[in-house]
Amino acid sequence: MHALIQAIILGILTGGVYALMASGQTLIFGIMKVVNLAQGAFVVLGAYLTYTLFVQFGMDPFASVLITTPLMFLVGVGLQWALIRPLHSDDVAQLSLLVTFALALGVEGILSFAYSTTLTNIQPKYANFSWTVVGYQVNLVRFCAFALSLVVLAVLYLVLKRTKFGRAVRATVQNPMSAQLLGVNAQRVSALGFGLGAATAASAGSVFGMLNAFNPGSHYDLISRLLTVVVLGGLGSIGGSVVAALVMGVASSVVSAMASPIWSDFTFFIVLLLVLLLRPRGLFGARTRGAL
Amino acid sequence: MHLHKRRGLSRARLWGVGVLAASTLALSGCAAASGTSSAANSAPLKIGISLSLTGDFSSSGKAAQRGYQLWAEVANKSGGILGRKVQLDIVDDASSPDQVVTNYTNLITQTKVDIVFGPFSSLLTVPASRVASRYGYSFIEPAGGGPSVFDQKLNNLFFVQPAESTRGGDVFANYILSLPAGQRPKTAAYAKLDDPFSAPIADNIQKRFEAAGIKTVYDQTYPSETADMTPIVAGIAAAKPDVVIGGTQEGDAFAQIKAMIQLKFNPKWLYEANGSNSPGDFPAAVSLANTAGVFGSIDWYADSTISGSAKFISDYIAKFGGDANQIDPTSAEAYSAGMLLQEVAAKTGKVDNATIIKTLHAGTWPTLVGNLSWDATGKPKGEYLLVQWINGKLQTVYPAKTAQASPIAPKPNWAG
Repeated sequence: MHALIQAIILGILTGGVYALMASGQTLIFGIMKVVNLAQGAFVVLGAYLTYTLFVQFGMDPFASVLITTPLMFLVGVGLQWALIRPLHSDDVAQLSLLVTFALALGVEGILSFAYSTTLTNIQPKYANFSWTVVGYQVNLVRFCAFALSLVVLAVLYLVLKRTKFGRAVRATVQNPMSAQLLGVNAQRVSALGFGLGAATAASAGSVFGMLNAFNPGSHYDLISRLLTVVVLGGLGSIGGSVVAALVMGVASSVVSAMASPIWSDFTFFIVLLLVLLLRPRGLFGARTRGAL
Repeated sequence: MHLHKRRGLSRARLWGVGVLAASTLALSGCAAASGTSSAANSAPLKIGISLSLTGDFSSSGKAAQRGYQLWAEVANKSGGILGRKVQLDIVDDASSPDQVVTNYTNLITQTKVDIVFGPFSSLLTVPASRVASRYGYSFIEPAGGGPSVFDQKLNNLFFVQPAESTRGGDVFANYILSLPAGQRPKTAAYAKLDDPFSAPIADNIQKRFEAAGIKTVYDQTYPSETADMTPIVAGIAAAKPDVVIGGTQEGDAFAQIKAMIQLKFNPKWLYEANGSNSPGDFPAAVSLANTAGVFGSIDWYADSTISGSAKFISDYIAKFGGDANQIDPTSAEAYSAGMLLQEVAAKTGKVDNATIIKTLHAGTWPTLVGNLSWDATGKPKGEYLLVQWINGKLQTVYPAKTAQASPIAPKPNWAG
């Protein structure tokens, strides 16, 4: 019983970080219908930026989010402008797969050149500190990472719900043609949306780098997890992706601790398969698509 | 008539030239095929090597390159081999088993190197050694020690490490089983990476522990994409084992230990197949204070007491910079491959491939990774060193004859 509860605690805290990564992924899909295969690479890029700030300038990894997030926002906007915007709108869903995959490979290549392929991690002094709460261990970094995820997701929610830009995004998600007829600049919304997706990846990357050893090739595993999370949650639904990430985190952790690590990820895929069979649009696909 | 005579002389001359040319070609062909240097020869000794300078194995491939380059430079400074300057011909295989075949075929048939040395990884060593065997070349190789390499039963192959890779943990089992029965662990946990070089190390320890009555309380294999080891370690902690055996590569070993620290689980003995034996990366990943008491096994490290190690380190730093703890053991293993060639030349006065193969199959050969000898398949007959982190340093603790310190047990608590 102790191991089960410990595994659930670990799963929830880890799931929060994946929720942050997946929220950007699903936002980009919601706005542009672009399946961004470079989201994992953006997370790894964010982790390396944080690593550099930590190693070169001694900057605390959590504090570095204040630099990496706006920086990656600008990078995202630039990439959308340079690579996604020129794609013909009729083929954007298919072509974007190729373009974003190429982008992921490009980021991986540059990082391999700059940092080598050796595994790295970000190791502040408090990285392994844990609180003992009623006999259970709660790791400080995981807890803060979870809290940071909640904060960033809350900011994202407020931006989408309470700002003019957010209304434009939601209008574009619901009906791009009508939104344009009402004066929404779809190109601008798309660029800023892609930037927001990259920004969430950067903030997730900072904590990912503290929780896991990573190298430039880590994005392959990340993107497969992120895609399953956003499909389970319902493509385009941020709330759905948060729930799905928590489901994935807890399912993986519990199965790994109580049964076998080999079945850990497979269990999640069984859940995904069942959801797709019974509810092809994902957990929250239809109901919240328009509201993100 | 005159003309006829002239014709006849011309034909004879033609035959003579033809026979001479054919003989020369045949001789040069034989020489190329066997990499001979038996005649007095001042031409450079060309050594062909395919290395993973790009791709998945590029970090280790470059480490091997540094070892080979350093050895060639040192050998040339001392007059080369049998008076011949060593000339390395290193080509990139991009970590591809297909490219490595092309590279060695080209090195042997086009570049016509005299000798070949091995690439990085068993994955590439298997196809490469077959090419070398087909052309009658010896294959001294520093980095292909998996079972698939020796299952080929090639007699031209010599693995330049103390034992096959999957026997890396045997020295830990030897140490534990050398303890009096009352001091041995009663229970053991095994967490194994699903990888042909990692899980078998733990499997071999497990077989011997179970035969000696050490009960298995946790035994799980995890896939290579497992980034977060915390749930696995939570499962291990719940089983309360005395000794934990990690059948690991580097990244997952670090993750296991970080998870143990975070979950405040401290076994009495902790052995990691790989990762904990890295003098530079391990303390950087888990912090130096948390290394205390962790076991690993290794063939070469910066504080190795093996003869020649100190000079290797000073030469290495002079050429490549950095500090001793940053030297990858792969560099020492590649350097040792060259040492073997020098020793054969010194002993026999020859460096042709047939002599190398015949000579290395007899006797014991000192290198930076210990005294090596091989069975008929190229499998080394020795054992690795058992090392433990003591006072912030990696130290040899077993076997006793090479030990720098006594093993510490039970393991000190994590520093946090």
